[in-house]
Amino acid sequence: MGVHARKAAFGLLMLILAISIVASGCSKSGGNEASGEPSASSSSPAASSGGSSDAAKPEPFEISVFMQDPGPIPTDDNRIYKKIKDELGVTLKEEYLVGDAEQKLGVMIAGGDYPDMITANTKLVAAKAVIPLEDLIEQYAPNLKKHYEKVWNQMKDPGDGHIYWLPNYGVYQGEYKTTQYYGPAFFIQKAVLKEFGYPKVRTLDEYFKLIEDYKAKYPEIDGQPTIGFSSLAFDWRDWPLRNAPQHLAGHPNDGGVLVDPNTNVATLYEATDVAKPYYKKLNEENAKGVVDKEAFAQNFDQYLAKIASGRVLGTFDQRWNFQQGEDSLISQGKPERAYVALPLVYDPNTTDYYMDRPVLNLNNGFGITVNAKDPVKIIQFLDTIIQEKWQKLLSWGEEGVDYSVGPNGLYVRTPEQRKQQEDVTWKQANKADALYRFLPKLEGKYPDGNMEGPGNQPDEFFANLKDIDREVLSAYGFKTWTDFFSPPPENRISYPAWSIDLVEGSPAKVANQKLKDLAFKYLPKAILSKPDGFDKVWDEYVQQVGKVDTKAYLDRVNEILKWRQDNWSN
Amino acid sequence: MQSSVQTKDVSPQPVRRTDSFWIRMVRQRQLILMSFPMVIYVLIFAYVPIWGWLMAFQQYRPGFSILNQKWVGWYQFRFLFEDENFVRVLRNTVAMSLISLVLSFVTAIGLAILLNEIKKTGIKRLIQTISYMPHFLSWVIVTGLVSTALSTEDGIVNVVLMKLHLINEPILWLGEGKYFWGIVGASNVWKEVGWNTIIYLAAIASVDPSLYEAAEIDGAGRYRKIRNVTLPGIKPVIVILLILNIGWMLNGGGFEIQYFLGNGQVVDWSETIDIFVLKYGLKIGNYSLGVAAGIFKTAVSIVLLYAANTIAKRLGEERLI
Repeated sequence: MGVHARKAAFGLLMLILAISIVASGCSKSGGNEASGEPSASSSSPAASSGGSSDAAKPEPFEISVFMQDPGPIPTDDNRIYKKIKDELGVTLKEEYLVGDAEQKLGVMIAGGDYPDMITANTKLVAAKAVIPLEDLIEQYAPNLKKHYEKVWNQMKDPGDGHIYWLPNYGVYQGEYKTTQYYGPAFFIQKAVLKEFGYPKVRTLDEYFKLIEDYKAKYPEIDGQPTIGFSSLAFDWRDWPLRNAPQHLAGHPNDGGVLVDPNTNVATLYEATDVAKPYYKKLNEENAKGVVDKEAFAQNFDQYLAKIASGRVLGTFDQRWNFQQGEDSLISQGKPERAYVALPLVYDPNTTDYYMDRPVLNLNNGFGITVNAKDPVKIIQFLDTIIQEKWQKLLSWGEEGVDYSVGPNGLYVRTPEQRKQQEDVTWKQANKADALYRFLPKLEGKYPDGNMEGPGNQPDEFFANLKDIDREVLSAYGFKTWTDFFSPPPENRISYPAWSIDLVEGSPAKVANQKLKDLAFKYLPKAILSKPDGFDKVWDEYVQQVGKVDTKAYLDRVNEILKWRQDNWSN
Repeated sequence: MQSSVQTKDVSPQPVRRTDSFWIRMVRQRQLILMSFPMVIYVLIFAYVPIWGWLMAFQQYRPGFSILNQKWVGWYQFRFLFEDENFVRVLRNTVAMSLISLVLSFVTAIGLAILLNEIKKTGIKRLIQTISYMPHFLSWVIVTGLVSTALSTEDGIVNVVLMKLHLINEPILWLGEGKYFWGIVGASNVWKEVGWNTIIYLAAIASVDPSLYEAAEIDGAGRYRKIRNVTLPGIKPVIVILLILNIGWMLNGGGFEIQYFLGNGQVVDWSETIDIFVLKYGLKIGNYSLGVAAGIFKTAVSIVLLYAANTIAKRLGEERLI
């Protein structure tokens, strides 16, 4: 009996514990709810369409927010939040994510305990937790309407045609400009460029000539043989092997197809004369011992290890893919072995189109939930925040405190101000980074010539660079790494083709997989064959590709390109 | 064994046979009751899911009920068998299975016999432990080790061969199809030999020591004893394991190893049925193809299992069924 009693007592204890945990979880969000109510009920039609601070006395208004993000969590006396409260009367009651987002949302949906404003998740749309925003924006938010005008149709849910979320990234004003480049390119070590006095490199021939010469001069780097050009064809990372030809021909990254910007029709470039010259060139370079023989048999870790050893002079890849290897070079104190991205083209007269404008960040940003008592006020708040004044406060900070205006009207920071920005604790009290990340934002260039944030302001970026980087950029007369590229034009409405869903299990998807298999099999074979054997392998490759149902693949791609053109245009 | 002897005894009197069956049922009711949980387990987890084979005749889309699908008849099987790569894939699977099977049997039995001859328990244990350690590494790690060892960039295999002047320049082991099967076989042996040895060592330990004594008195040396006492002593275990392993023939001696070591250049030698199904089934969302391939493999496995069993029976050996 004693044992039974003890067991029962223990069980009861566990039950109480479990209930109290659940209860405390509920009461927290319940508290948010209750405190939001009284202020919201005072429905004042303060249509602050201008939204500037001179609206006499702003009515105090509280908005509860849940962010699917762990922070950084601002301090209670945060400078930016205080300014928002003082000038707009809006108190943001934020809750940050602890633990797993899907789980937290699951609980939230099960209980119907939503805050007023929430960051996007398709689950919430499916659970009908958020309200359509298009009418609210049309009526009460002229600035947001203007901001999203160009992408209005893209924002609509493909299911029911409503707008539920305000995308946080991907809407640009003015000239698009970033400082760092993470996309596809031919990469070359800074040391190689330096060795030959920073020549201009536009074509494949010039690029490989530099690598050949450098390799001949320095057959070993740090005691190990120099590798001229490496690459990768491993698992899903297929682009180092497959994607180069489209860029060389002056097209942006559309995945496996070239899309004619005028007719919006896709064609294959693999196993065609667009692709052949590139692989032919690699074949020639292989005969000269420049290409890494192991390139297409190595796994991703071996590839990264090679990059990190500092003896790979060049590669074609997307930077984020081998970033780890490059970071390692920098931390080893070999910044000259890190890479510069070059937009090579077949014909020097072609405008390169490696760099593209980011596409709209769909299913991201904030939405307003069904629990919000006064959605009009919330949308008006967001409408105010999208204005230049507030955007600058969120990204740059306060004039005189976080930056000053230079003689040419451009914002600059002093070294101390820059250092502050790296201090996590300082930022918690003086920045609203997490909030800014999810808010709708102005990206690109402000009318006054400043960039949306200090990270993309060329002078600010340049001042933060390492010596070798400054030397490389100065030699070319550039300020940022993206100056090597042609400024990207506006994205084609149907861009990019690589994001097209080919439909699970369809003939299009089978064809896509077959094309990949054939590329992985024949391209390395062609590159590594003896120069006089290249054409034979290539012809066999073309013949095999001819057997694939490429029509199914292209039909599907073209169908979606057309759908986007029809539905996303204004 | 005993029960089969009994049935043989009663077989001449068919009338009593059924009688005895029921009587025995009643007599062994506790045993039968005890077997129920296991039987139910097998029914639920091995037989009930077979109705999912319906998927093989559909174009299955997840999220919809299995009855609310498009029926496509034998389309998935046709896709599998009519693909020009299928013969090649099947060849690779069977070849790598056979290589792995033969190598793992020979090496494991060999190592077990050698270990058995070591009389110092400490050294024996040490060797045994070291040799079965790799079994606990996952294939991801092992294949990582293998590709590093075989690398043309200071991989140990190439370095040793160069130092011995057997080759003039490093060989791209993983870029040449003809080496692939051998690499798979060798990797399998390296990883599993110690582990496979355990069961043979146990079998050797159960050989009656008096047989060794008798052989010794008759003047048998060490090799003679291995040949005439140890090997015949563990023959039943070898045969049973062989039959069991033959049932797994279409698994190609593993899946991960070919998946991780294979690359475009050696695809003609490395692609097995499982990888083919992964690429054209799971990866592109055609789950039905995976089921069709599973049915095919099951059918072949059953046939192989029975064939091996029958052969063993004919040869008068120990058998499974």
